[in-house]
Amino acid sequence: MNAPVTTVLDASVVHDQVSAVAQEVFAAMVDGDAGLLLPWEGELPVLAEPVVAWVDLHGDWAGRLALRTGAPTANALARALLGLPDEAEVSHADLVDACGEVANVVGGNFKSLLPGPGTLGLPQVGDVLPQTPGALRLQELPLAWRGQLLAVEVWSFGAQDAPRAAVATHDGPAIPDQHGGGDHA
Amino acid sequence: MIRCLVTDDSRVMRQIVVRTLRQAGYDWEVREASNGAEALESVRADEPDVVLSDWNMPEMTGIDLLRALRAEGFGTPFGFVTSEGSPEMRAAAEQAGALFLIAKPFTPEAFREVIEPVLA
Repeated sequence: MNAPVTTVLDASVVHDQVSAVAQEVFAAMVDGDAGLLLPWEGELPVLAEPVVAWVDLHGDWAGRLALRTGAPTANALARALLGLPDEAEVSHADLVDACGEVANVVGGNFKSLLPGPGTLGLPQVGDVLPQTPGALRLQELPLAWRGQLLAVEVWSFGAQDAPRAAVATHDGPAIPDQHGGGDHA
Repeated sequence: MIRCLVTDDSRVMRQIVVRTLRQAGYDWEVREASNGAEALESVRADEPDVVLSDWNMPEMTGIDLLRALRAEGFGTPFGFVTSEGSPEMRAAAEQAGALFLIAKPFTPEAFREVIEPVLA
């Protein structure tokens, strides 16, 4: 049985933390330089072929860190991580591996900022997030990586975060999701 | 030449670790394992000079791998390369006998900072 969720997060703090973590991860792991992951400007496009990679966190705070992007961007991300040229083919296994690992590293670094002990699940990748009863989207950061949409989402599995989650949704509209998966807050 | 076993369930991450070792100037002979159980078998079959391991893996975690190695009498120098670098994990790693913990994302400089003292 899981321990009770006891940590309450402030959505604005989460926004700043996740933004800093994502910038650091992409600079060190993907681009070799800072500045290629920027806040998204303008309207959010519909992701025709969504790829979602996530890790679940368990402990005093329980929730999920997810990356959501389109298949072409996910392929480009895999090529960047593998050091492949722009036109190189990427296998589905490598795409899943690469996107899952980026979610894993962003999630692991986010977890390190949380108080108290906890565990990190193994990364998973699909086209929608699984439905989790009671899950609330605490924060959503639409970012532009090499000009393409890549959103980082933080979901809370604890009811304590709910009032602040309501504040978080004022930061911007939800990423349009044709499948409607996961957006059940 | 130093013989290194890189253990991570992500093939992409194993490739990044190997690339970063080279960028850090370590022209080591590297072989790979995709989880702790596979790494344990690999060490039993042919003990390397150093093990670099992820923490969170299916089949057998990195910390369980390290404990199993020590329980079997292997004193193989061992370092973690993991996405979590919390004080609790660093303490658990040290207590189990790890020489260092490199947190992802990492740079060649981060590798050199922890590996150079070990080589010395």
